[in-house]
Amino acid sequence: MASDLLLEMRGITKAFPGVVANRDIDLAVKPGEVHGLLGENGAGKTTLMKILYGLVQPDQGSIAVRGNPVVIASPRDALRLGIGMVHQHFMLVPDMTVAENIALGLREGRTPLTRLGTVSKRIEALSKQYGFNLEPDDVVGSLSLGRRQRTEILKLLYRGADLLILDEPTAVLTPTESNELFSVLRLLGWQGRSTIFITHKLDELIAVADRCTVLRDGKVVGSLAKAEMDQRAMARMMVGRDVVLRVPRLTLLPGDPVLEATHLSLTAAGRPVLYNLTFAVREREVLGVAGVDGNGQQELVEVLAGLVKPTAGGFTVHGSAAVIPADRHGDAIALSMTLSDNLVMTDIAKGRFRRRGLVRGDEVHRHGRRLLTEYDIRAPHLKVRASAMSGGNQQKVVLARSLYRQPRLLIAAQPTRGLDVGAIEYVYQKILDHKRAGGGTLLISTELDEILSLSDRVAVMVSGRLVAILDIHDVDLEKLGLLMAGVVQGPEPAAAS
Amino acid sequence: MLIIALAGADSVEAINALIAGSFGGTIAIARTLTFLLPLTLVALGWIVAFSSRRINVGFEGQILMGGVAAAWAGIYLAPHIPFPLQLPFAVLIAVVAGGLYAAIAALLWAWRGVNEIISTLMLNFIATGIVAWLVAGPMQEPTHQFPNSPPVVPSALWPHLLPNSTLTWDVLLAPILVAFTWFVMNRTAAGFLLRLTGSNERAARFAGVSTRLVTVMSLAASGALAGLAGSSLILGAGTGKLAAQFSAGFGFDGIVVALVARNNPLAVLPAAVLFAALRSGSGLMEARAGVSSQLVFITQGLVILLVAGSAFLFEQMALD
Repeated sequence: MASDLLLEMRGITKAFPGVVANRDIDLAVKPGEVHGLLGENGAGKTTLMKILYGLVQPDQGSIAVRGNPVVIASPRDALRLGIGMVHQHFMLVPDMTVAENIALGLREGRTPLTRLGTVSKRIEALSKQYGFNLEPDDVVGSLSLGRRQRTEILKLLYRGADLLILDEPTAVLTPTESNELFSVLRLLGWQGRSTIFITHKLDELIAVADRCTVLRDGKVVGSLAKAEMDQRAMARMMVGRDVVLRVPRLTLLPGDPVLEATHLSLTAAGRPVLYNLTFAVREREVLGVAGVDGNGQQELVEVLAGLVKPTAGGFTVHGSAAVIPADRHGDAIALSMTLSDNLVMTDIAKGRFRRRGLVRGDEVHRHGRRLLTEYDIRAPHLKVRASAMSGGNQQKVVLARSLYRQPRLLIAAQPTRGLDVGAIEYVYQKILDHKRAGGGTLLISTELDEILSLSDRVAVMVSGRLVAILDIHDVDLEKLGLLMAGVVQGPEPAAAS
Repeated sequence: MLIIALAGADSVEAINALIAGSFGGTIAIARTLTFLLPLTLVALGWIVAFSSRRINVGFEGQILMGGVAAAWAGIYLAPHIPFPLQLPFAVLIAVVAGGLYAAIAALLWAWRGVNEIISTLMLNFIATGIVAWLVAGPMQEPTHQFPNSPPVVPSALWPHLLPNSTLTWDVLLAPILVAFTWFVMNRTAAGFLLRLTGSNERAARFAGVSTRLVTVMSLAASGALAGLAGSSLILGAGTGKLAAQFSAGFGFDGIVVALVARNNPLAVLPAAVLFAALRSGSGLMEARAGVSSQLVFITQGLVILLVAGSAFLFEQMALD
């Protein structure tokens, strides 16, 4: 019976000082199965996978692979047992070719020299077998993120892994690339290789997983077969209460414009990245900007935030503005500074909380306490380092400092990237509160569901152009997808706005 | 110890001599403390620049320019201004000179993207050249016999703290500036913006900080601290004359002090005492135990390796 299973983890318990990360967890994976592992940030998914991959030793519990009890003391042990992991941040050398990256660390034959030719041939064969479309001689740095991910997967297949652990694999992928990944996982399944798929995204899990295990607070709250999977039920299991995945539509009468852009253009390194953008955001409305990542969204935010000057055209903000940048760690949070510092950094830069050149520590503290309660930021105290906080809490910090002064314009770029369902719901609520309070929002997102549930009007961005600005009642997923892919031309932006 | 033994000397004797040379008696302690201020100031300068993630290796040059300014003020300007203002004025001019000299590298970085490591290093050579030319030309003493300037007006010098020693009152600036630097970095808005810029430059820009200005200011402040060190080498413990190479490697040893202090201003003082003692005691060690004072450099290197190694170990432990 037990030998039917490729992997069986029983009663895994792991405590860290102050927190029990895993409590009596059972996880069973059959050969050929795509097994979803679902849970909020901090639910214990990462610890469990680190135990499986030999990076962390469990306090209690046992692991059996193909029915044999094993001890996994290091990633090397894991690989020997056929367990491989694709990390969220790829472990590839960008300057090396696909073949070289895969050959790294291999010990084949007795010579100290790696046989790159042999490696290349096998890569070609494997690549063809799974439809990876990878050339052994491609330099990794020149590949798209999707292809780099396939290189990682290929690396594990080459080493004979038959259980792949994928940590939030779709976070860096376009929708098309995600679908391609899913077909690869199915193909692997038919050959008896299994996958553990860690994610926040319920719809993806339903699309690809044969079975899924839901974790909450370090415990297993349920294990569902394909037929039992249901977005609403899974979301409830994950956060322990009902979650509004689709926020109720809130239609208000828009007021005066708070942001007006006219013929906004930007050329960077001789290449046009923003082209003749004309649009307006009004009070009490959300203008969603949909588009595949890398079509000028980041540049648009940088221009509107004042980091970059437009090369032609211009924009006016009527009143105060706040920006939530897309790249949380890169552009929004100072990881080595404290929670308190991160809550007030915009204010201190703008001259608030100061007196005669000094930071007013007492006021900063009182303000911090207030935001902690008001925005439900979970932290032991204000002096905790931002790097020690979960992504969801970090995003709440950014939200809190952006919204507490009730700006007239909110520019929110990818405000829910990497967040779990509970935190996403929270961000949506805050954006709606902002709208209700009379503010205008420019929502820039690659998540179409997000755009559709929050926006009053939708602008579609392709290659730095707004190809259409449509009323929300005139769009659906399919139409949006076609516009984003540049297949259909929308009506002239000027006419729609 | 092992290294001293390998060098063929009595290690106990050598260590005793090193300690006696740095802490044995008032004179030795005074000499050690004389080295404390320049080491401390340069270390603080490194920390200030590094807070905005810029690397200033031009302290030697900034010390030299600060010293030139202090000497110029002390020799040519002091006779024309009232006594109580002579010293403060000379010190102030040196601070400005060190800051401006560092600002050259800072502005080259801001306007032209010139790497500040290269520019500050190159500016050291230029400063060395300028001082060599000054003491053999425009600022040479009247007899034109020796490669140094005439002495600074005695009333513009720091008064002695202890009789019969090189120690002058300026050593008190060391703890004061340590406290001041810590206060500016941790309690003022300017210090906040500096730490923010160093922690995440892009987030600082999104918050509306002119990170370029902050960085230029941090490099200039870093140079100003070195300029102050330069003024002390002329107006404090030294001969009161400008001479070539008077910076004596403090500009690099101070960086080591900052690294040992792990960029924490409050830890600079003990680290500076350690390195001041090594510098101070090496002479006696060489004389008494016959151990080359070069071995002190090896010791310094070992200290750095050990500090770096322990830092690495601590991080590993924190990760587990």
